[in-house]
Amino acid sequence: MTAPVRPVPETTVRVRGLVKRYKDGTVANRGIDLDVFRGDIVAILGPNGAGKTTFLRQVTTELRPTSGGIAVFDVDAVRHPQRAKRLMGIAPQEAGLFESLTVLQHLELFARLKGMSKHDAVNAAADVAEELGLTGQVHKRVATLSGGQQRRILIGVALLGRPPLLVLDEPTTGLDPASRVAVWGVLRRAAAHGASVIFSTHYMEEAERLSDRIAIISAGTVVACGTSGDLIAQLKDSYRLSYQDASDPARPWRVCRYATFAEACAAIQHQNLSEYSLARASLEDAYFELAGHPFPLDHSTEALQ
Amino acid sequence: MRRRAADALCVFLIHLARLRTEAGPFVLAALGFPAVMYMFASAVGDQAGSGTSDPQHRLRFLAGSIVFSLSMTAVSWLGYLLLENRFTGRLRLFATLPLAPSSYVLGIIVFALAQSAIGTITLLVAARLLGVHTALALPLGAVQLATVIVLTVLCVSGIAVIIAARARSFSEGSLLTDALGAGLVFLAPIYFPPDAMPRALQLASTVLPTTYAAHAVRTALAGSSQIGADVLVLSGMAMVALGVGFHVMRWRED
Repeated sequence: MTAPVRPVPETTVRVRGLVKRYKDGTVANRGIDLDVFRGDIVAILGPNGAGKTTFLRQVTTELRPTSGGIAVFDVDAVRHPQRAKRLMGIAPQEAGLFESLTVLQHLELFARLKGMSKHDAVNAAADVAEELGLTGQVHKRVATLSGGQQRRILIGVALLGRPPLLVLDEPTTGLDPASRVAVWGVLRRAAAHGASVIFSTHYMEEAERLSDRIAIISAGTVVACGTSGDLIAQLKDSYRLSYQDASDPARPWRVCRYATFAEACAAIQHQNLSEYSLARASLEDAYFELAGHPFPLDHSTEALQ
Repeated sequence: MRRRAADALCVFLIHLARLRTEAGPFVLAALGFPAVMYMFASAVGDQAGSGTSDPQHRLRFLAGSIVFSLSMTAVSWLGYLLLENRFTGRLRLFATLPLAPSSYVLGIIVFALAQSAIGTITLLVAARLLGVHTALALPLGAVQLATVIVLTVLCVSGIAVIIAARARSFSEGSLLTDALGAGLVFLAPIYFPPDAMPRALQLASTVLPTTYAAHAVRTALAGSSQIGADVLVLSGMAMVALGVGFHVMRWRED
């Protein structure tokens, strides 16, 4: 009896050896390799200046790579940017809208610029507006909307035409919690219908709850890629103890990490701690460890003796 | 080709919506200032004994104001829009689409042509109401006038595209388009004959499209069809300006 053969996932985006060196000599990406599969949601995490936006701008063909290759559904995105963009819905981090247009005009005209007929554009615009909770605002001019609503229009433009690949640079920055959750739902539904999604974020919770895989970029390279569990499993010390130093209650809580639960319990007993919190390491811990980022200043990390 | 035309139409419609909400500044730039310049030139001409009593001078001032209007709409106003698109991230939104940069430029130029048509027709009607009589021969004269207007707009809007694509900042670009919009009018003999200008300006004006545009518009308004040389020069200038404009307008950065 043979073991069932797992289907090989279809690769929709294949990035190999992507390097970006700017004219001033700054190297933003130093050889990025990444595969994205059909229906896959991949979060790109990394500190400011790590090269996330540069990476996404190269994938979306906005920036020409210095070397390396990007294939989008087997289309060479470096050589054929227009063909590659026909397969993508893109929401850049910073893009301007036309404030004199209404929400509906915006979505309809941009749908037509994506190649839809007038009839299809009208339907697509209405669908996207409904999906993003903008139905009540469709006849309002963009200038009258809040920053979060304008951000949703940008995401809506990316969704028009149901492209098989969505690339979004910090899509939920500036959104209120309800809108953020609504956008997560929209992206999940797109993925459920077979679209691949790549997005960058600074929110650990967003990366953990929304994505199937997380790629951590640091200093221009992908230092780790996998599920949230995969990344946490890479930590040597997977228990996190936060405690109040009884001898100096004015100090901020201290944080230290242990490889096993037993070691953490031993430390609690040894120090006779009365006020503490013990938890499994989180994605945030993995992120700081793997990205080589200094720990936040409101905590001090010390090893208990 | 059909796809590009459809894309250009959408770009045009997007900007047309803006024109509807910002009609005031457009009226001021395309009609108000040129009308004031007509009156100013007439007043100066009257002082010098060559004012509005002479029909030839009236035609010169009208042609000058039409070219002034074209310069304001297709260089200053259009340049400002293009710069705004670029520096407020709207261009980046276009760049996310499978839209050729040339379609964007084409849509923008159609927008400039529409504005110029509105400006020119309104000025001609206003001039008629003010008693300025032209000898525009219909339909040939109108076709000739339209040809000159289109070529002039293509030429100067090509220059606006180049500035907007190359400017390092919004302020640098808007300063350049403003200076160019004014320079194209005041460095060229559009209100006064070339002989009235200093020698250095006469030489400088030979490379300005507005010099040929003003001469051709004036000739067409006077009922003559002798605009071949001007059309030829304007065509050459338009080809160069648009060629460079299409070349420098790119979505992708290096």
